[in-house]
Amino acid sequence: MLALIASRIAVMIPNVIILTFLLFAATTQFLGTPAAIMLGEDASPETVAELNAQLGFDAPLLVRYWDWISGALSGEFGRSYSTQQPVSEMIADALPLTLELAVWAILIAFIGAALVNSVTFLKSLVEKLVAGVSVIGITVPNFFLGLLLIYIFSVQFRLLPTTGWSDWSDGVGKHLMHMILPALTLTTFYFSSFSLVYKAEYKSVENNLFVRAARSKGLSESRISYRHILPNSILPLITYAGLSLGQLVGGAVVTETVFSMPGMGRLLVNAISARDFPVMLAVGMVIIVGVMLLNLLADLAYSLINPMVRTAG
Amino acid sequence: MTKKLSFRMILGLVLLVIITAAALFAPWIAPFSPTQTTTAVLAEPSLEHFLGTDQLGRDVFSRIIWGTRVSLQVGAAAAVVAVLIGAPIGLIAGFFRGRIDFFLVQVIDIFIALPGLVLALIITAMLGPSVVNLSITLGVVTAPTVARLVRGQVFVVRETLFVEAARATGASSSWIIRKHIMPNTMRVVWAQFAINVSLAIFTSASLSYLGLGVPPPNPDWGGMVRDGSMFLPIRPVLSLAPGFAVALTVFTFYLIGSSMNDAD
Repeated sequence: MLALIASRIAVMIPNVIILTFLLFAATTQFLGTPAAIMLGEDASPETVAELNAQLGFDAPLLVRYWDWISGALSGEFGRSYSTQQPVSEMIADALPLTLELAVWAILIAFIGAALVNSVTFLKSLVEKLVAGVSVIGITVPNFFLGLLLIYIFSVQFRLLPTTGWSDWSDGVGKHLMHMILPALTLTTFYFSSFSLVYKAEYKSVENNLFVRAARSKGLSESRISYRHILPNSILPLITYAGLSLGQLVGGAVVTETVFSMPGMGRLLVNAISARDFPVMLAVGMVIIVGVMLLNLLADLAYSLINPMVRTAG
Repeated sequence: MTKKLSFRMILGLVLLVIITAAALFAPWIAPFSPTQTTTAVLAEPSLEHFLGTDQLGRDVFSRIIWGTRVSLQVGAAAAVVAVLIGAPIGLIAGFFRGRIDFFLVQVIDIFIALPGLVLALIITAMLGPSVVNLSITLGVVTAPTVARLVRGQVFVVRETLFVEAARATGASSSWIIRKHIMPNTMRVVWAQFAINVSLAIFTSASLSYLGLGVPPPNPDWGGMVRDGSMFLPIRPVLSLAPGFAVALTVFTFYLIGSSMNDAD
């Protein structure tokens, strides 16, 4: 097991280095130097060069990358060009919110997909409903679904707050009320794809001998489904959920914008519009490392569960 | 070719014809100019303005009809780019296997794991927002899916008896690829092409919604949703109607692609 972890990490490290280098080179080479942007078009070349030197933008690319990555590894991302706040503080403020939103979305999709797809009564009706929700999840963009939910639940029925954000410290109830619609918006897509994965596994587990044994013992269909088939069908879903968390960041960016939540997504969008390099780079770095780590965890979880991979790896 | 068309496929094709017609005949269908501002701002839906007017007095229905053009252009162009990049990579990886395959799969997997929307955000920020840049970006971002799919299909075709027979008669690799592998992977590629169009339209609308996609004053659905969302409580139709247009178009291409996959 240790050898497997070591080999996976050995593959991961060069990947992270290459990707962060690409990110760094792309953002700093293509967008023009920040000095030129900050000083505007009227600035003389001398003042631009001076500010470039001050910001360390006159050094060769590899040197600048090294400076940045060694700082980033110790949690030092520099200061934002637009707010002058340390970037690490901005990330620390925004990250918990995005993670919480992502965890809620994944949890709801995970539990929902497993429970709903194991239903044994009114099966054909439930299957049609799942298919309907799945089509919505795959084809309706997050921003439209979010607005639709706001319109129905907040504007028409006035049940939930429209947009904005309420911290845990303002009260748990208030906090959760603000979380319901964003989590629902984000979870729909994942419910669809989780349902597909779970249903496929469920169908193959259903053919096992132990299911037939349980049935011949005279157990009720729902007990067979929830106690015998569900626990044995859930493993692929765990790996899949781990892999999805990385992709979920994309949906979170849009969802946070719809509900004006101060998370990583909004940080990134604002940074891109303002050409705020340190923030862009830091958010990009957090996403790259986060995705790689989650893939590693999903990989390890899978090999813990499936001994065949463990001995082979 | 006497295969019966499924209901899903027929529905998808009918919707496709309607959407394409809207794009082609926009100047005749749309009753007003999509960009001409008037003083009749935020008008309620009426016989004259089916869906009312926006905050600059432009007819919403006309803007949605014209918006079809940009969406279809970006969607189709991005899917072409994705196939042009992804299919050769998948073909090489699947056919030659070994080290090339190992290396390419590593690259493909990394790019599939990264969130496509965030990648697209960063790349469009680099290149600057325009319809052409948006198409290229979305094509590049969705290419890995095509590559993985083609690779899987080539793996299957490569093991068939007719390929083995061709190899036994001394056929060259390039001949086998051209005569056997490519024709037998085309079907999967076409299905994925339709799915990729829907994915690109979905993502480009999201980028425009974030203000980093199709630049104004182009009538663009994502941008319309963004502008209209400020008036959600008083004029919900301003943001919900273009949002519905995106969903319907994405649904159409998804339906066609997925029923092509189910057909065999």
